Amino acid sequence: MINDTRLAEQFVAHGRVDDCPVIDTHAHFGPYQAIYFPRWRPDRVLDTMDRCNVRWLIMSGHAALVDTRRGNREVAEVIAAHPDRIRGYWVINPNYPEHMQRELDEFEAQAQIAGQASSASDTVGEPRSLPPFVGFKFHPGGAGVPLNDDRYRPALEYADARGLPVLSHTWAGKGMCSHVEVRDVAERFPNVRLLMGHAGYGDWVDSAQVARDHEHVYLELTAAYSVRGALEIMVEHAGSEKILFGTDHPWFDPHYGIGCILSAYMTDEDRRNILYRNAQRLFGLPLD
Amino acid sequence: MELFDCNCWYGVPTTPPLAPAETVDDLLGELGRAGIARALARNAAVWEESPEVGNALTSADCARDDRLEAAWGILPPHTGELGDVADFLDAMRAAGVRALWAYPAKHRYLLNATTMGGLLEEMQDRGIPLFLHRREMPGAQETYEVAERVLADFPRLHLVVVAHGSWGEDRLFRPMMARYPNFAVGTSRYELDGGIEDLCRALGPERLLFGTNFPETPMGGPMLTLLHAAISDGERALIAGGNLRRILEEVRL
Repeated sequence: MINDTRLAEQFVAHGRVDDCPVIDTHAHFGPYQAIYFPRWRPDRVLDTMDRCNVRWLIMSGHAALVDTRRGNREVAEVIAAHPDRIRGYWVINPNYPEHMQRELDEFEAQAQIAGQASSASDTVGEPRSLPPFVGFKFHPGGAGVPLNDDRYRPALEYADARGLPVLSHTWAGKGMCSHVEVRDVAERFPNVRLLMGHAGYGDWVDSAQVARDHEHVYLELTAAYSVRGALEIMVEHAGSEKILFGTDHPWFDPHYGIGCILSAYMTDEDRRNILYRNAQRLFGLPLD
Repeated sequence: MELFDCNCWYGVPTTPPLAPAETVDDLLGELGRAGIARALARNAAVWEESPEVGNALTSADCARDDRLEAAWGILPPHTGELGDVADFLDAMRAAGVRALWAYPAKHRYLLNATTMGGLLEEMQDRGIPLFLHRREMPGAQETYEVAERVLADFPRLHLVVVAHGSWGEDRLFRPMMARYPNFAVGTSRYELDGGIEDLCRALGPERLLFGTNFPETPMGGPMLTLLHAAISDGERALIAGGNLRRILEEVRL
């Protein structure tokens, strides 16, 4: 088996490493159109997390990609039931600009409830005091609206003013959500913590260079890890400090992505950065 | 537990993968690093040039190391590039080749009874497995429609679709598994969380063959997924290599 480093040896032997927790920064909840999921229900999600030592999973609702009102609330219920393991992204659908302010108001209300709870219970730093939703989720390709389109502006301004994370689907091919549109958004909204979902899949070097050039742009690995050689390019051009682990769960088994990272030519320190350190720093999630 | 990779290659295709493996030594080095004991391998020339060229290159390269077993490509017997069916089977026998690949899109033929019937009938009767690479055709629908058409005419054929897409394809391949006893898929891109355990429960472990899709895909992903899937060790051993070993051992050349 792959056993040329301690992490590789331990993951191969046990499927999890106690001193190497994982933070899955790109997950979903619920069934979806074109794929059968055996493990989308919360009990199965938690079982998967335990098997891989995924300490935190940050999800957006598949339903929210269709109907934000229903889908975001659904995820809020999942987080409320599992506040010490799960956080969420609030999905923004740019095709309904008339809903945008309401969505931002609901997001704000969720954050304020968390803030009140933390001050009331004196549990600052504890998982339950952290806001249930850490930021926004965009899917430009799914919505058919380019990432730098003006319809995203209210959400980006909101996130920029607060330094919030925004996870966006990104993919090769200019005009929708490639490194070109990411660079544009990063320059106009420099305080947004912009997570390039799928690491700009296909445009590996250009995407990594955007992450290198912008302090708050990160490469998120879902599906990108399955392209042999892509990880090494990201580490070379952006550094392992700018890479985040994600799986699109329940799409993909975390073991698959972890295994790809173990195959890549990098150090265990790089792997730890990717699997949890960067996300811990970015989201402020405790690992105890 | 011995890992036997059903789907890996090396060589110099026109458009290289992001991290190429140009020589058989590159492949062997990665197999060694991953601890994969055996591999059914092919040179990219099998599909990029022609099986006329690639089959011989593959056999010559694989003869260098006991871990490798050569897999060849096929062409319609009617054009004679690989001889008639009897000639081709003789060549397989002489070279010890027990597994074949079809590239109907790249090689511009119809993989059906009209074009390949004589060979497919022999393959069915002799237990010779046929592999189809899911990415060889433009979409999932096309791949499984071709596979279904072949299996409708040759229902006992060992047909294996490998490297299926990350958009899950269970709705496409599970009904075919239920109907055709020797239809299987490779695990190289079976990334679906819980997919292996769920499929084993529904259809048994015989329908999955471990594969890496190297050098396009890192070996560690499919390895770690299989090693820690929630299945029994017996099921795991079959998927890891037992199923492929049995299929190849039962080939009658």
